[in-house]
Amino acid sequence: MPGWLIDFLWVVVKVTLVIAFVGVNFIFMVWLERKLSAKMQARIGPNRVGPHGSLQLIADALKLFSKEDIKPAMADPKVWALAPVVMFAPALLVFYVLPVGPNAVIGTDLNVGLLYLAAVSSFTLVGIFMAGWGSNSKYSLLGAMRAGAALMAYEIPLVLSILTVAMLAGTLSVQGIVQAQVDRGYYFVFPGIVAFIIYFICVMAELGRGPFDLVEAEHELVMGYQTEYSGMRWGIMLMAEYTNQFTAAAIAAMLFLGGWDGPFLPGWLWLVIKAYALVMVMMWVRWTLPRVRIDQLLDLSWKFLLPVSLLNLVVVAIFLV
Amino acid sequence: MGVLNDVARAAKSIVKGHMVTLREIFKPPMTIRYPDEKPEQPKGSRGMPVLKVNAETGELNCTACGLCARSCPPGCIEVIEETDANGKRMRRPLAYNLDMGKCMVCNLCIEACPFDALEMAANFEISVYDPENLVFNKDQLATIWKNYDAVRIAGGEKL
Amino acid sequence: MADQIERSIGAGVQVIEDAETMEEALRRAHLEEQAGERRRMLVNFGPQHPSTHGVLRVLLTLEGETVIDAQPDIGYLHRNWEKIVEGWTYAMVVPFSDRNDYLAAICNEQAVVGAVERLMGIEVPERGQFLRVLVFELQRLTSHLIWFGTFAMDMGATTAFLHAFRERERCYSLFEEITGARLLYNYLRIGGLRNDVPDSWLKKLEQFLDDFEKEAYPSYWDLVINNEIFRVRTKGIGVITPEQAIAYGASGPVLRGSGIRWDLRKVDPFLPYDQFEFDIPVGTNGDAYDRAIVRMKEMMESVKIIRQVMKRLPDGPVMAKLPRALRPPKGQVYNRVESPRGEVGVYLISDGGTGPYRIKWRSPCFTHLMLLPVMARGHLVADLVTCIGSIDIVLGEVDR
Repeated sequence: MPGWLIDFLWVVVKVTLVIAFVGVNFIFMVWLERKLSAKMQARIGPNRVGPHGSLQLIADALKLFSKEDIKPAMADPKVWALAPVVMFAPALLVFYVLPVGPNAVIGTDLNVGLLYLAAVSSFTLVGIFMAGWGSNSKYSLLGAMRAGAALMAYEIPLVLSILTVAMLAGTLSVQGIVQAQVDRGYYFVFPGIVAFIIYFICVMAELGRGPFDLVEAEHELVMGYQTEYSGMRWGIMLMAEYTNQFTAAAIAAMLFLGGWDGPFLPGWLWLVIKAYALVMVMMWVRWTLPRVRIDQLLDLSWKFLLPVSLLNLVVVAIFLV
Repeated sequence: MGVLNDVARAAKSIVKGHMVTLREIFKPPMTIRYPDEKPEQPKGSRGMPVLKVNAETGELNCTACGLCARSCPPGCIEVIEETDANGKRMRRPLAYNLDMGKCMVCNLCIEACPFDALEMAANFEISVYDPENLVFNKDQLATIWKNYDAVRIAGGEKL
Repeated sequence: MADQIERSIGAGVQVIEDAETMEEALRRAHLEEQAGERRRMLVNFGPQHPSTHGVLRVLLTLEGETVIDAQPDIGYLHRNWEKIVEGWTYAMVVPFSDRNDYLAAICNEQAVVGAVERLMGIEVPERGQFLRVLVFELQRLTSHLIWFGTFAMDMGATTAFLHAFRERERCYSLFEEITGARLLYNYLRIGGLRNDVPDSWLKKLEQFLDDFEKEAYPSYWDLVINNEIFRVRTKGIGVITPEQAIAYGASGPVLRGSGIRWDLRKVDPFLPYDQFEFDIPVGTNGDAYDRAIVRMKEMMESVKIIRQVMKRLPDGPVMAKLPRALRPPKGQVYNRVESPRGEVGVYLISDGGTGPYRIKWRSPCFTHLMLLPVMARGHLVADLVTCIGSIDIVLGEVDR
């Protein structure tokens, strides 16, 4: 077999595995969210479809597929139709640099892995704008504009906090950062605790989760930029949101909690466990706190997170590197 | 230092809120799995008015006086008295129609009845596909009375 | 009229603008939109909306995200209550009055029943009066629980809604035991109550109050009210100055949140409240946060009153001896009660028959809704939801 064919088949296998994982992750995470929120609210959650309601999402997906594809009049059809795809693509692209073992990365270990991650994850913003604009409805436009302002505000503290980790490790490559933690014997969450908290807050704001879900606040302007999407189109946006949640948690697990490091179990399993622990914390925060307003969201970012992350950078630079 | 104070207070309040939800995870849920589990209904819980059947004679106590129909605010009771061939009033209902689509379960008909013919059953599962089937006639009402433990007043206390 | 108000409460009365119909408001907004003020949008908020607490439609004039004007449009829940009761007997009116403010049914019944009793000079036995106070305050507690749950849900804290309803379910069970119904009771009668309560029920009530005071109530403060995000979202929002509150006829927690110490239970007791010790919580700034604190503290005051009633409950009948068909003398009476939302008033005109000639229902939420443009001007759309929630609105009462 010629070499290029083996490589090509290898790529096909990896892509299939990633997509399968994304699908299973989606099903599992939606189930986890509904059960966890139910437990916090003295309810039971899904309990009829499958054991403990585990197959509930299959029923929901079938329902979404069977919905009529409503296209609003006067919308820009190409932009409107492409928006969910553009929102979903970055979620998949992040998997390229995820390390799952001491010598194994899903794609290649780019030596500018962190830069790649920051660039790719901010691409979701374009998708949101496309959704809001293409729908040509007052509500969607308002929602998209709010989302855009919020996301742009939170990019900077996010990048600054992961820059702190890069400084501590001395490299921009993701595998290198995990390796540095393993070599030194401590996880970067300890010296970089402030960076960890800032990263957590910023990533919840970027995802539109938790107390920062005003971009899709059901109680305010129906569904914001998602108003004009129904059926499986909306299903794709949901899948994008949940996959992004997982990848953001996985990045945090790698940068701060040691990634695939851990005894007994294989590396990728440790990564998944740590990522899901962080996902559960995100869900816990979401169902506890009320929502912040758009101006308070921007205040938090520009007036609090940005100075604190700058200060943190300086402190880490002086004392720890 | 005022700013640090504010930040500390804010952080503490947020952490305390999370402790509440964390504690809640370990408490049992409040939901019951209807229809597998039915809710606990105390005696006297209002579901729908039903016609009482006399234990000895097997007949309805109702004499078709019409006081219940007059006291019903939405006017959902229709009573027609039975007359025999000569036109003499038999003091028995020929027809007693209770429209549960209009009934607001206020209990006034039961209190108005001087013949102890109406009682309140706790049956609330009366959903039908056709609203015309929500009109119960006297035989249906008597059957429901036999199947449910109907009372005159909540708590079983006398008026 | 304006100078009368000005003289009575001092200077600073805001001139109430001339009433504008919905068509005039729409026309004005369209003209503004066309006349180059392209940044102004006319947005329809409701009537189908998750956070307007019922079928309320608000016509918003927005500039960007700031509310310039908010005109409420009501009538979607109008059921013709005042006309329908003109043909009925008093016994029929009582369960029908439950449906006005369906979240605090006993308060409505007390308003109607108290009006007839005043007209006829009926004296309710002491046990009946004390039990009325008990269920009235229990209703206040459950109504404030709903306000708490829905207000927190408007802010985004969905969990608090379910926690509040867990306590409310226990109250539903308590009410179901003595009246038979969970939400709309038909429990108060002219001359007393329908039936007495057994001692076992009082023990269950005490158990509920203990659990509420020890676990649930502090958790509401921890989860929502003391939460920093909640404070930031409600402080300074929807400010009503005391002069505005009096000028627009506010009552209840809306009035007390602005700093005016006025509670009908102390000023004009419609039930033997003067025999019990309780405080009236009063706010200072008149913003949504103060109104929230007033309602939270009122929950605890209600618990205090219920405990005092249970301790001092006398024996005796609960119903006065009355003929079956009541015919009040000809006359007019206005009876008011302090419901959880404010002052509910029943203006009854009797012509000597078995039923009312005319009942006019004074609804507190109707009056408070007129304050919405005043409260929401200059705020963001998210704050509009806060303002509506802090009025604690029930559309059944607004529209009747």
